[in-house]
Order: sequence, then C-alpha cells, then structure tokens
Amino acid sequence: MTAVLETRALSVSYGGVRALADVDVEVGEGQLVGLIGPNGAGKTTWIDAVCGFVPATGETRLDGRTISGMPPTARARAGLGRTWQAAELFDDLTVRENLSVAADRRPMWRLVGEALTGRESDPPNVESTLELLGIGELADVAADELTQGQRKLVGVARALAPGPRVVCLDEPAAGLDSAESRALGQRLRQVVDSGVAMLLVDHDMGLVLGVCDRVVVLEFGRVIAAGPPEVVRRDPKVTEAYLGRAAQESQAILDASAIGTGT
Amino acid sequence: MEQVLAFALLGLGPGALYSGIALGVVLNYRGCGVINVAMGAIAALGAYVAYGLRTGGYLFLPPLPLVPAHVNFGGPVGVVPALVIAVLVCALTGLLLDVLVLRALRNASPLAKLMATLGLMLSIQAIILLRFGSSGQSAPDVLPNGPGDVVHLLGVTIPSDEFELAGIVAVAAFALVAIYRWTRFGLATRAASENETTAVLVGLPPARLSAMNTVLAASLAGALGVLVAPLTQLDSTTIPLAVVPALGAALLARFTSFGIAMVAGLGLGVIESLVTYLQSRPWFPTTHGAQLPGVADLLFFAIIVAAMYWRGGALPYRGSLVERRLPAVPKPVRLQRPAIVCAVLCITAFLLFTYDFRQAAINSLIGMLVCLSLVVITGFVGQISLLQVALGGVAAFAVSKLSMSAGIGFPLGPIFGVVIASLVGVAAAASALRVRGVNLAVVTLAGAVALQSFVFDNPTWGGGFTGSPVNPPHLFGVDLSTQASFPTGGGQLPSPVFGLVCTVAVIMAGLLVASVRRGRLGQQMLAVRSNESAAAAAGISVRNVKLLAFGLASALAGVAGSLYAYNFGSVTADRFGVVNALVFVSFAYVGGITSVTGAVLAGLGVTEGVFGHILEKWVGVPASYQLYVAGLLLMATLITLPEGIAGGRRPPPPIRAISRLIVGPGRARRTSAAVGATQGGATS
Repeated sequence: MTAVLETRALSVSYGGVRALADVDVEVGEGQLVGLIGPNGAGKTTWIDAVCGFVPATGETRLDGRTISGMPPTARARAGLGRTWQAAELFDDLTVRENLSVAADRRPMWRLVGEALTGRESDPPNVESTLELLGIGELADVAADELTQGQRKLVGVARALAPGPRVVCLDEPAAGLDSAESRALGQRLRQVVDSGVAMLLVDHDMGLVLGVCDRVVVLEFGRVIAAGPPEVVRRDPKVTEAYLGRAAQESQAILDASAIGTGT
Repeated sequence: MEQVLAFALLGLGPGALYSGIALGVVLNYRGCGVINVAMGAIAALGAYVAYGLRTGGYLFLPPLPLVPAHVNFGGPVGVVPALVIAVLVCALTGLLLDVLVLRALRNASPLAKLMATLGLMLSIQAIILLRFGSSGQSAPDVLPNGPGDVVHLLGVTIPSDEFELAGIVAVAAFALVAIYRWTRFGLATRAASENETTAVLVGLPPARLSAMNTVLAASLAGALGVLVAPLTQLDSTTIPLAVVPALGAALLARFTSFGIAMVAGLGLGVIESLVTYLQSRPWFPTTHGAQLPGVADLLFFAIIVAAMYWRGGALPYRGSLVERRLPAVPKPVRLQRPAIVCAVLCITAFLLFTYDFRQAAINSLIGMLVCLSLVVITGFVGQISLLQVALGGVAAFAVSKLSMSAGIGFPLGPIFGVVIASLVGVAAAASALRVRGVNLAVVTLAGAVALQSFVFDNPTWGGGFTGSPVNPPHLFGVDLSTQASFPTGGGQLPSPVFGLVCTVAVIMAGLLVASVRRGRLGQQMLAVRSNESAAAAAGISVRNVKLLAFGLASALAGVAGSLYAYNFGSVTADRFGVVNALVFVSFAYVGGITSVTGAVLAGLGVTEGVFGHILEKWVGVPASYQLYVAGLLLMATLITLPEGIAGGRRPPPPIRAISRLIVGPGRARRTSAAVGATQGGATS
C-alpha cells in the first residue's frame, strides 16, 4: 500500500520548546488513521505543520511528492484538506457557499470573467458532500447561525468538498454527544471507503478506536505507540500517558477482577 | 556639523507634540481598544482654548442652539489659568467622547470606533474653522522664550523650550509607565485590556477604566497642544494632522509601550527637522528651483512601512466580551431592476433639475464611486484602506498631465489614469500584504499624506498651488463635458450631458460590485475577510484575492478621480487630500460599508452632495456648518447604527421600504432588501 500522506522526522520548535520531535506518521490509500495523545502532545501542531501553518523541519510528502516548504494554499490545492478545532467557518457565507468557495479551484481570471458576465455555476461535489454528511437541509443557513455541532460537520464538509486526496480532521467530534459522535464515525468511515484517506485527531476514544484502521499515539511531541487500535489499546505506555501510573495500576486491578468474575 | 546638530535639536519641539499625541493614542488604545485619530484635533482644541483665553479673554463654545459663541472673562487670562482651563476642556471632551460615544460602541468593530473618533476630529476642525476662520493664528509663548532663554551646546545655540518640551513628554511617559506598573488603576487597565471577561469577573468596571484612560489621554494631548502651539502653526489642520506621525510613533510602540512611543515621536520630529536642513543644501534635488514638498511625509511613510515589517504582525490582541466583526455583507438578489430604476431616476433628475442640483447630483455620483471602491476593499475584504481617495487623485492628475502635455484626451486619458491608479494601488497592497486591520488604516493614512504632499502638491507632478488644468472630454466629436450644449438645463453649468456620463459610470460600477458579491469572487473575498488561515487551508490564495480586490477598488477610485478632473476642469491637491479621504471613509461607513446600497446612500450624503445641498437650500444650514454637522451626525449614526445605515442585517424600516420599491419584493428569507443588495439564503 502506498502512503498518501507521510511525514518523516517532522519537528517543530516554539522558541525553546520542542513541540514535535522527529515524528513519522503515514496515512495509506483508503486508510483512516487516528492521531491521539494527551493535551499538549502536539496533535494540532502536527496538522498545522503538515498543512504549512507553522514552520517545520523534516519532510512531508503528499502522494510521494514532497510538499515541505509549500504555502498552505498550494498544499490545499495539491489535495490536502483540513478542519479546525473551532470549525473556523466563513461566517459571512451560507453553508453551501462555504463548501463551494472551497471546492471551486478554477483560476482567478475565470472567476473575474464570471463576475463580469454575471453567470454563476456551482462546483459539482457540493450537494453530494452535504448529503454525505447529512446536512443538506442546512445548505442555505448562514454559517454564523449554526450550533457548535453543526459547525463541526460543516467544517468537515468544507474540507471534503474540493475532493481532496487526504483530510486531517482536528477534533471533529468535540461538542457532539455520544450518539452524534457515533453517527459521525459511520459517516467518516463511508468517506474513507469512498477513497479519501483521512487522519483523525479526537479525544473521543470510542470514536477513534472504533473506526480507525491504525492509531498513532503522541506524547510530548514524540510517537510513543503506533499500530492497529486493539494493539494500541493494550499498550501500557499509552495507558500511562493517558491516565498516569496510578491509574494504570488500578486498571490492572480492574482487569484482574474482571477476569475473576468471568465477564 | 554644528548645523546638523542645531537642526536635530530644533526638531525636539515638534517631536514633543508627536510624542504627546502618540502617548494619548497609546493610552486610549490600552484603555478601551480604540485608535483615536482625533487625538491631534484634541491637542489643537487645547491650543485654541488657551489662545482665545490669553489673547481675547474668552472661552469659545461649539455652535449649539441657545448657546452663546463665547464666555467672556473680562480681559486676557494668565498663562497658568489658561493652561488649566484648556486641559479641563480637553478632559471634558475626552469624557464626553468616552461616555457618549465609545461606551455605546464597546462591542462594535474596530473600524466603527475609529470612525467615531474621526467624527470627533471633523467636528473639532469645523468648530475651529467656524470660530477662528481658515487663515491661521500665531499662539503667544507659554514657556519662557526670551533672548536669554537659550542653551549653548557644542557650539550651537538652541532655544531652551525645545529641551523643556522634550523633558515634559519624557516625564509624562515615565509617569504613565509608573502609573501603569504600580497603581491599582494601571493594573486594572492592563487586566481589562488582556481580558475584559475576567476583569468583569473580578469586579473591575471596564467602563470606568476606559473613561479614566480617555480623559487622561485627552488631557495629555491638550496640554502638549497648548505648550507646542507657539512653535508651530495654529490652524484647523496642522496640529490635528500631527496625529499622522503620532500614529506612526504609536505603531512603532505597538500601541503598548509608552517609552517607545515617546522616543519615536521625538525621533520623527528630529527627522523632520533634519529633512528641512538637508533641503537647504545645494545638492538636494529641487523642483524648478523650489523645494520639493512633502519629503518628510514620504520619509514618515517609509519608516512606518519598514516598522511594520520589522515589528511584524498585528496589534496586541485585546480580549473582549463579544467578538468584533465588520457588518454583514448582504447578497443582492437581482441586478437588472435596481439598475434600470436608478438609471431612469438619474436621467429624469438631470433633465429636470436646476443647475445647482445638477452639480450636487454629479458630486454625489462621483462620491458613490469612491464609496463603491471602499465597499470592495473594506466591506468585502475587510482591509481598511484610507488610500482610495489619494488613488483617485493619482488618476485625476494622470488625466490632467496626459491631456495637457501629451495631448491624450478622452477616453484614452482616463483609461490610462485608471490603469495607473490600479497599479499604484496593487503596488501599495503588495507592500502591505501582511498588514491588516487598523494597522493597515495607519499605514495607508501615512501613505495618503505622503501622496498628497509629495506628489499632488508638487508643482511639476501634481497641481502645486494653482491646480492642474484638464481639457474637456469629447468622444467621436460629441462634447461630453460640463459645458456641452443640451436642449434642457437652460445652458447653465454643469451640462446634463456630463451628469449622464457620471450616471453611466456609476451604474456600471454598481453592477460590477454587486456582481462580484454574488459570484465566487465575492465569496472568496468574504472568506478572506472571515478567516485568512481557513481561507488558505481551503485552497484560496489570500494574496491573490487581496491584490485583485485592491486592483478593483483602485480602478473604481481611479474612475472617480477622472470624473472629478472633468467635473472641475482643473485638478487641485486638497480635493484628494487626507482630510477628504477621512470624510469619504466616514460617509461610506455610515451609509453602509458592505453594500452597493450603502455606497449610494453615502454618495448622496457626501459634502457638496445632494443631501448637503438640500440642507443648505431648504433647511438653511450654511455650507460652512456642514463639516460640523457631518462630524456630529457621524458619531450619532454610529451610536444608533454601529453597522451603518444599510450595513447591518436589518436596515431601518424607511431604507427597507424605499429599497423594496427599487429592487422589488425580495425572495430572501431575511427581509433586508435594499438597492441591489439583499441579505439571504436565496443563492440561485
């Protein structure tokens, strides 16, 4: 399997703080990869670095082509999409416009011509993306009138509308209740099955471990574990990173008692 | 060498004025997040109050019904009481500004606040003009300035007040640093400017802090105005426009550091004085044997641009309770009907109106073009440019020069003019791509001043003192000028023909701007306005969108400038000067900076426009009071409608009713139909 998106020795420093240190992550064709880790582990920094929003060393490759050093717009146009923790929608536009402005990749002179002739045309993917995420009925609502959960979905839709090769989702389920979160997971799975590779950052472990093909765990800017969800779930380093040593011990006790009662 | 030192030290006095105003600007920003462009006008107010008290023994009052023009003290007042009264008047002005205007605008966009202080600046300038005339005065000495009051230093003799003034601002700056560091008031202000929410939670009243800071700022600026006035000219523009270098100094201080603001202000004064020295050297370039005007202004602009690169980035973030945004941008539902209705209205007007109303209508139409330019750049893309009027001037002077010296007339002349204006606009934008928000306002303000004094005032490139003539426009042998003969109109100037030319230009420009808003290009502009990072992540080239918007806006301004040139037959510098630029931006904001409707309303309101003429002719408000009324109206409108008349989601009912007549019943869900501008979800 070829990697759609991969980073090699990706490092980011803020002043003296090493936010990412030699991070290797690989997202293969048709894969849904989870990127998890405690607060401050560097998950969002990884997305920012990959998408060109913070200066980074190391290499980022998209479809085997290096994109390190390219500005964010060029990376987006090369097929890299992303969402933001705070959705960051274009609040002056409707939901449909949010999608079409992102999906329309025609050169600027074509748009100028369109403005002069007054003819409008919508890019093809917009309606189907709205339907895919189940927000078709919101199409004509102004973005600043949405609820937080709806904003997150529109953010995901906006990243998918241009038909990217790979999207990085930054906590799309934050602010959703568990039922909504499960529904989102199913939809993301559908998207991946339709051929878009995906990297998912989220705090909802149920979501990440439930839908991802592979999971990468960061702590203090380093990869501490990577592999299939069931392996990562049992990795003691991961439990420790998340819950601390004491919790890990209590977890062991719980596991032991669970075995003892046969459940 | 002695001469260089002497000139450098002679710059301390004017530098002290820049410093004092810059300290006031920084204080005001830290106190309530407003960039107060009226700080120079407040200094001038103090200077004039002291002037009136000391020379005539009276305190002048603003023109208000039932209020006398003067309060007499029965004879000239001494130095100290005059200074005290002047500072009190400035403090009161600051208090009124804060309580009546800024408090109401606390959660409005930074642009709205800036516009409100602009209203105060225009009002103060108008009051000075009404009470003291336009010829200017010379203020009596405040600090001792006799033949013995000099300092001998390294072989040069400098009046001692230069040093005293520099000392006074230095003491003021250190006092402010101390107050902010060690008093409860200072700590509270710093807390509130970091995060208004937590400041509220711990029980600090931000409103009172804001008022105290504004009063302190106004008192400081007023005091410096009184002290420095004897060293400079006393008139309605010199001290008020000292705010431009002062804003530069404040920008260098990132609107935060009192020390840097003080030193930068003094430094700019010294640089200005050194430029005067250099210009006295034989090798310095001249224009036809006369001094080049505006070299110092050009240098100030260069320093500000360089500082923006050096210090980079935006203003320090000021946490607040409510996210501040520019007004919503309504989407036009239809274009044809409003265009046809407006065309019919304009044609009828030019056929029926008398000559004076024809002239007012032409002024309004040209004003609409300037405001459309601002709608594109500020309304759609969120970039606050104060350069647009000056770009109109670039086109106007190009039309004039091409017509007089190269024989290139209509329509090639204006086409070249518009292209040149666009190129200058795009070049300015390219150099300021990283600058945004109110920082951009400061940079473009300095750019406008530099263009005015370095280019337009230049007798060779610009108009000098006399103005630069223009040949009347002809197309295929048809006279399109203001003197064209026409069956109606009684043969008086301006001819209805020229009015129709302006109508065609405005309708086409309005259609273009509305069409941009409806299409993808407009969506990209709004995306950039909402969130530059998210726009870049969505594959939108933020740089290209901004450059295109600047190009389009500059072209519209260029069309306006070309029409101005033909309107008056001669191009003068002050018409494209910085005061006019500020007036246009304020009218554009009040009309509604985000829509074609807003630009139309703003154009009707501009000075010498239709509303002004109605006020003068039928209501009896003389033209000399119009700047005063405009300033007050600007503040009043901002308080009641912080998003402008047609700028918000819900314009006032009369505007909605009129626009429904012109546009037709809206299909949009939200009923804010307006001329060619309807908010809503009806996208197809």
